Amino acid sequence: MTTKRDCIVTIELGTNAVRVLAFDIAGTMIGSLKGSYPTFHSQPDYSEQDPEQIFITMLYVLKNLLTEQIHPKKYKVNCICFSASMHSVLAIDKKGVPLGNAITWADNRGKKEAQELNRSPLSKKFYQATGTPIHPMSPLVKIKWMKNHEKEQFAKTSKFISIKTYIIQQLTGEYLIDYSLASATGLMNIQQMKWDTDALYYAGIKTDRLPTLAPVFASPGPFKKEYQTLLGLTSSTKILLGSSDGCLATIGSGVWGDSKAVVTIEDSGAVRVIGNKIMRDEKRRLFNYVITENCYVFGGPTNNGGLIFEWFANQFGYFNRPFDLEHSIGELISEAEKVEAGSGGLLFLPYLLGERAPIWNPNAKGVYFGVNIKHERQHFIRATIEGILYEIYSISKLLEEHRAIKSLAVHGSFATIPFCTQLLADICNKPVSLRKNSDSVAFGTFLLSATEMGIYKNLAEAVKAVPTPELYTPQKQQHSNYMKYFKIFERLSTKLADEFEDISDLQ
Amino acid sequence: MNQFLLQQGSSKELNAFPHIIEFALKKNTSIHLDSFRSGASDHIRLFYIIDGKFDWQIQQKPYSLYPDDLAIILPGQTLGSDKGYLDIGSLCWLHLDTYPASTGSKIQTGEMSTVRKILDLNAMPVVSKFRDAGNIFQDLKSELFNQHLGFHTRTNALIDQLFILLARVLTQQNNLQRDFPQAFLKLENTLRSSLSHQWTVEEMAGLVGLGSTAFTERVKGFTGFSPLNYLITIRISEAIKLLKRQDINVTDIALETGFYSSQHFATTFKKLTGYTPSQFRKNIISQNNLQ
Repeated sequence: MTTKRDCIVTIELGTNAVRVLAFDIAGTMIGSLKGSYPTFHSQPDYSEQDPEQIFITMLYVLKNLLTEQIHPKKYKVNCICFSASMHSVLAIDKKGVPLGNAITWADNRGKKEAQELNRSPLSKKFYQATGTPIHPMSPLVKIKWMKNHEKEQFAKTSKFISIKTYIIQQLTGEYLIDYSLASATGLMNIQQMKWDTDALYYAGIKTDRLPTLAPVFASPGPFKKEYQTLLGLTSSTKILLGSSDGCLATIGSGVWGDSKAVVTIEDSGAVRVIGNKIMRDEKRRLFNYVITENCYVFGGPTNNGGLIFEWFANQFGYFNRPFDLEHSIGELISEAEKVEAGSGGLLFLPYLLGERAPIWNPNAKGVYFGVNIKHERQHFIRATIEGILYEIYSISKLLEEHRAIKSLAVHGSFATIPFCTQLLADICNKPVSLRKNSDSVAFGTFLLSATEMGIYKNLAEAVKAVPTPELYTPQKQQHSNYMKYFKIFERLSTKLADEFEDISDLQ
Repeated sequence: MNQFLLQQGSSKELNAFPHIIEFALKKNTSIHLDSFRSGASDHIRLFYIIDGKFDWQIQQKPYSLYPDDLAIILPGQTLGSDKGYLDIGSLCWLHLDTYPASTGSKIQTGEMSTVRKILDLNAMPVVSKFRDAGNIFQDLKSELFNQHLGFHTRTNALIDQLFILLARVLTQQNNLQRDFPQAFLKLENTLRSSLSHQWTVEEMAGLVGLGSTAFTERVKGFTGFSPLNYLITIRISEAIKLLKRQDINVTDIALETGFYSSQHFATTFKKLTGYTPSQFRKNIISQNNLQ
């Protein structure tokens, strides 16, 4: 009789899709599948997802992965661990039934609530206690919005939970949230590691209307019998709560300790570092998210990543075949390569979706600046890419007010386009490392599970075992070139605040 | 072409074609007040502009029509002009009592239902620069007036052709052919709004403006599922919501969410969730109760 080999399955409940991956104990990926679900925008600032569709998509993908790729190869699923995007809120009634759709991180309906709170002295107190910047993305603000605008639904809501809490509850029956996701709600006190009384009072709720807090290594118990049968699992498969996509991408990129930052650029982007202390930013521009006690991820998010270049490609790229965005992007990149660094003085502010760090201005807009008669189409292409990366640089510069950053680890579909990675190295003037296996969120989830299983002594050791070869070296000359333009970029992004607000009112 | 007017019942040219209500070409050289008030009819009305500019209201929305434009007014939709009269110019029209039906048409039933779906869901009643339609109108006229050998087959074939070309043009006009996620979201909303319909891959592909093979490949890459499996995730997630509501019976849920029967629903539901619909309703609700 052959003995079954152990494996770990990771489930990422992402912004657009669920990704299910399987790893063997050594960390080699042995299977992966994804299934996407839509985001609905019933009104301009709204961004919602159907919790049942996410659940059924997750279940369908997990079942297909297990029955097609894992069970036939005689693997035993040792552990299943979750990650999810941050800041989602789902209201459920006393029977646990969702009251409408889940509100995602990208939802801006609480703009006014956020603005008011930001002007009040409470905001400083809340930021210090919870580590989450005051912004419409924050569940604190979203719940407050519901209290103000959806009184009936607010009254009917027995719990406000995250999408991940809902999915895990469906599978196991337990209402739990891990410290990581909870620390991104603006409702958890990250020093005391419990729900923050003042923030809850402001939102108009008590602890019983939130899920129970638990460590990232905690287990909600096994899947319900019916799901075990469906998936061909037994009660010996351990289920782990896991963490958030941002925190797991950070450790999955092999970043631990002070000197290294992670740059993520997918549709949106972020720059993050890990440390053992909570970081205080006087101007409240950076987030502090918890992984475990004494382990914090801090950094700044941007709304405007690869999605902005996709927008550009859709408007101005060449299309030979319908919907062939990949090809169009490839062509644009090779055109951009022919233009000198700095795009001949053409600057682009990429704030098409408003902006979070570092300017935290939901009214910010896109700007092409400095256009002259000599500029051609390809200058606009390169300027667009440079603008997106200047924005990343401005976040890393902000982080450097608190940490010395010696090198960058990069992941995400936009950041890992070789042209963009080199540009990033040049603009930031730092060496850049890339992991071969680019799915950092899943790999971080694997590291977390492997640590829980005792394969690594602790998270630090797990992360340090990740090889991070430095593949891109900065070109000094280019960097000083970019810095001349970046100075103007930086000034423009704050200087235009009044005009951004006026034009927002007109749009 | 000269002016003509063929009407069902009074023009012998239409004797063999009971589905053609009216076929005409008009050169409007003067303004007749109160001659073109807004109104709906039970017929499918197609107008092809030959000359001039026409300002019309279709379903209470203003449209300007120029030469070579084709307007499609479906049964029950309103057409008229704010000014109450027909502008000066030339135009040709064809009124049919139904979509090409089994009697004269050679379009396969499945393809016809796709064409109908595309026309029904079409938000743009005017197709601009649609010269092919003009050629078909011209051929149609010579078939009906000359009645040469085979005119019966040819006339019906021309009408078939007009609808097929129209459906193709509409699917291409309906999207920019660039942003797939956006086109797919539009499709998703359409699917959700008529979930009880038995969607085929051809219909879905048509709405996005792709052939079925290219569509299937795109959907697979984008969603991870084949189009029909993706549709199942929507059907089941809607079914779960209805099951949790308790006030609608399982058979009604099955039909409302697009399953052939409650048996088909139960099998699919069990395969995906591990529960039969009624088990799911019973167990999940009792286990989840927070009180």
